[in-house]
Amino acid sequence: MNARATSEIHMSIALPRIRFLTRPWLALLFACVLAGVVRAQEAPAPAAAPDAAEAPGETRALDTEVQDLKKEVVDLNKELFILEEELLFPANTQVAVFVSMDVGEFFALDSVQLKIDDKEVSNYLYTPREAEALLKGGVQRIYVGNLKTGPHELVAFFAGKGPSARDYRRGATLRFEKSVGAKYLELRISDRQRKAQPEFEIKDWE
Amino acid sequence: MIDRAVPALLSLCAAFAVWAADSPLIGREAPDFALRAMAGDNMRLSEARGQVVLLSFFGSRCNTCRTQLAELDGVFRTYGPAGLVVYGVSIDDDATAVRSFATSVGVGFPLLADPGKVVGRDYSIDRLPTLVIVDRAGKVRYVHRDPKSRSEPVYVRELRRLLDE
Repeated sequence: MNARATSEIHMSIALPRIRFLTRPWLALLFACVLAGVVRAQEAPAPAAAPDAAEAPGETRALDTEVQDLKKEVVDLNKELFILEEELLFPANTQVAVFVSMDVGEFFALDSVQLKIDDKEVSNYLYTPREAEALLKGGVQRIYVGNLKTGPHELVAFFAGKGPSARDYRRGATLRFEKSVGAKYLELRISDRQRKAQPEFEIKDWE
Repeated sequence: MIDRAVPALLSLCAAFAVWAADSPLIGREAPDFALRAMAGDNMRLSEARGQVVLLSFFGSRCNTCRTQLAELDGVFRTYGPAGLVVYGVSIDDDATAVRSFATSVGVGFPLLADPGKVVGRDYSIDRLPTLVIVDRAGKVRYVHRDPKSRSEPVYVRELRRLLDE
């Protein structure tokens, strides 16, 4: 019984196969579909997968390399800048003038004019952003140059808006001795609370 | 007739192209400057880095400049929100004349005074009006020295291109 039933089942499967193969156009269509499926399975899918997996790693490595190169360029630029400064302004003749501002309640800085030995060496116009940066504690190098050893005179003119938003212009003078070694001078703007006036002084950093 | 006209036209176009692009500044870093404004705060070019800057060099006795500044006011209102900064730079010696000119023109962008012509020299200004367009990276990209005031579309096309970058 069991053996008969099994053989009937086999027959029922086999019969349609035979019928199918007897029709040539259907066989051809089947072959085409089968070929298409095989090709689709063979084609780029397995090849694309490793590419996709490798790409982020490669990009990351490239990015690190670019960042390293950028850092090298920045470092090189810094070294070149220092070398250029040393060459243009050797320590034995160098004079540098800095500007700093404290509080600034009684004075809104507009410009600073610098004269060394009666010769104008700098005339700097400040934008509100720059003045704000000074008020936040920034120190600006307004001038760097060379001077021979001996006595010199620095005159600084400060222009801006003073108390009650009036035009305000003041000067400060410093006589200094340039010796061997760099000279650093600071133009300091501060508020004199007692007089409700701004104060301008030149400090000589020994 | 056509055989003669075409080469002539081509050479004319080439001459115009050379004239329009002969500025030595093109492709170079725009010289930085700080100038006093006729009204308001001092301006420094480098503070506008990241935006497209149009510098219009003008003189108070130049009628074409007046027309062009009025046109630029419209351009500024249109493209200002897209990142365009416009500065008018006067190269007059007479501060009073510049102030009255600025008041009469009444534009929405800052007009700056360059009485010493330092900025004018830096930008090799040899005729008025001259327009200089600086890109977002701070490089001079276009110099327009067409004396005719009806030249708006030419520089506006350049502006739009730079604003899109």
